[in-house]
Amino acid sequence: MESVISVKNLSKSFGATRAVRNLSFTVYRGEIFGIIGPNGAGKTTTLEILEGISIPSGGKVEVLGLVPSKQLRELNKKIGVQFQATSIQKKMKVKEALDLFSSFYEGRTQKDYLIDLLGLNEKMNVKFDDLSGGWKQRVTLALATLHEPEILFLDEPSMGLDPSARREIWSLIRLLRDRGSTIVVTTHYMEEAEQLCDRVAMIYSGQLKALNTPHELLNEGAADCLDFKSSGLSREYLQSLPGVERVENNLDEYKVYCDDQQTTAYHIFTHCQEKGITLSDFKFEKGSLDDLFVQYVEKEKIG
Amino acid sequence: MKAIVKLAGLETKMFFRDRLSVFWTFLFPVVMIWLFGSMFVGNNMSQKTFAEYFVPSWIGVNIVTTSFFTLGTVLTNYRETGVLRRYQSTPLQPWKILAAHTFQGTVIFSISAFLLMVFGMLLYDLTLPVYIGSTMLSLLISILAFFPFALFLTSLAKNTQSAAAISSLFLNLMLFLSGATFPLEMMPTVLQYAAKVLPLYYVIQLLRGTWKEAPITEYGFEAAVLIGISIVSVVLAVRFFRWSGK
Repeated sequence: MESVISVKNLSKSFGATRAVRNLSFTVYRGEIFGIIGPNGAGKTTTLEILEGISIPSGGKVEVLGLVPSKQLRELNKKIGVQFQATSIQKKMKVKEALDLFSSFYEGRTQKDYLIDLLGLNEKMNVKFDDLSGGWKQRVTLALATLHEPEILFLDEPSMGLDPSARREIWSLIRLLRDRGSTIVVTTHYMEEAEQLCDRVAMIYSGQLKALNTPHELLNEGAADCLDFKSSGLSREYLQSLPGVERVENNLDEYKVYCDDQQTTAYHIFTHCQEKGITLSDFKFEKGSLDDLFVQYVEKEKIG
Repeated sequence: MKAIVKLAGLETKMFFRDRLSVFWTFLFPVVMIWLFGSMFVGNNMSQKTFAEYFVPSWIGVNIVTTSFFTLGTVLTNYRETGVLRRYQSTPLQPWKILAAHTFQGTVIFSISAFLLMVFGMLLYDLTLPVYIGSTMLSLLISILAFFPFALFLTSLAKNTQSAAAISSLFLNLMLFLSGATFPLEMMPTVLQYAAKVLPLYYVIQLLRGTWKEAPITEYGFEAAVLIGISIVSVVLAVRFFRWSGK
């Protein structure tokens, strides 16, 4: 696979604050690469360094073979950026914005295709300030992708959107990837990372904590659990079963985190059947990145 | 080139979309002339009639208000709301943004100046400038000196409020010390010297002079000072262009 972004031992300090520490990762052409972490983890700072807006304090960064902070103009012809919560001129109409941004690039742009794709036709004469949040995101997404960028950076693309607008943005992002862009996206919504990303880098206090496909991350993290109700079981017994990582309970509601759901379930069922204990609401729960994320944050607090 | 024309056109068009700000922008100078007119009309100042003295100087003041309040405030707001941040990740260069806003400011200023002149001609028997080519050239030099100067100074501000504070300070200083409102002869010698530090002084000398007395060639020193300011501030404004408030 061809790499389009390579980051080696990147760090960035603002005075005494070390926003990014010794970060290394590679992004390959054609993937949707997620950077996830809580607010203030260093996601936006990392993205800004890749975009060439911020100068790194240490380490090496290469984007499309260019050094972003030194070859910004060359880089800007090849990348598109969707910023977090920035605006365009309030009184500018959608049509005017598309025309203006098209004029920044040499050669033809995919303006007409994007107007069709994003359904912007009905909004062409509306001023930016009069658009709803979802439409504003569509317009700025169009502005960022006019020149068919090789890499598209999206900073929290679905922040503040309602669930249906969020899903629409996701399918648009997938479509842009299918048309050949590599996509780097930051988010603190774990659902977004799970649904959208091919690979996810988990960042916490400026450090890389994990990097893998969402599926593998979940397997590694052993976030799968069995969820049920029973009044005749004890926490100690469940903890003693083979392959059980930890048990959470709230009165008679149990969550049993384990390596192998089927084997653990078999043990519990046999035990209950023999002793005549009632089990109810038994569920196989697939762990989410949310759980995994909480696990990492808690590990950090303890360590 | 395409980008600069598009941007300049759009910014100008958007200014006229805000009806209220258009109204106040053009009303202010005319009201000021009318106010001063009711105080001073009939008095001769430095061998000039009221209109010959005040209309050119208020046209000069208008360059200052346009550059600080219209241009400076708009760009500071763009910096604050992330409009410029979005440009930063496109191939658009800073000088094109500055040039587009300079064009917008020139259109707005020209309308104000024209209104002031017509108002002066209708009410106070002002005549067209005697050396009209020289007056136009003086205006051009003054614009090129002031617009980038204001764009640079306001870019030092963290937000719209502090930009407004910087702008008010400069406007008031120049308003009272450059001879635009009160004749310099009325002031103590120290302040007369202080006036010569302020760029507006040279703008007003040029405009008053070319309106009535002599072509711009007779005002080589004033023109040279303004051209100097212009070169320095263009370099500063482009070199230290700031895309965001951070």
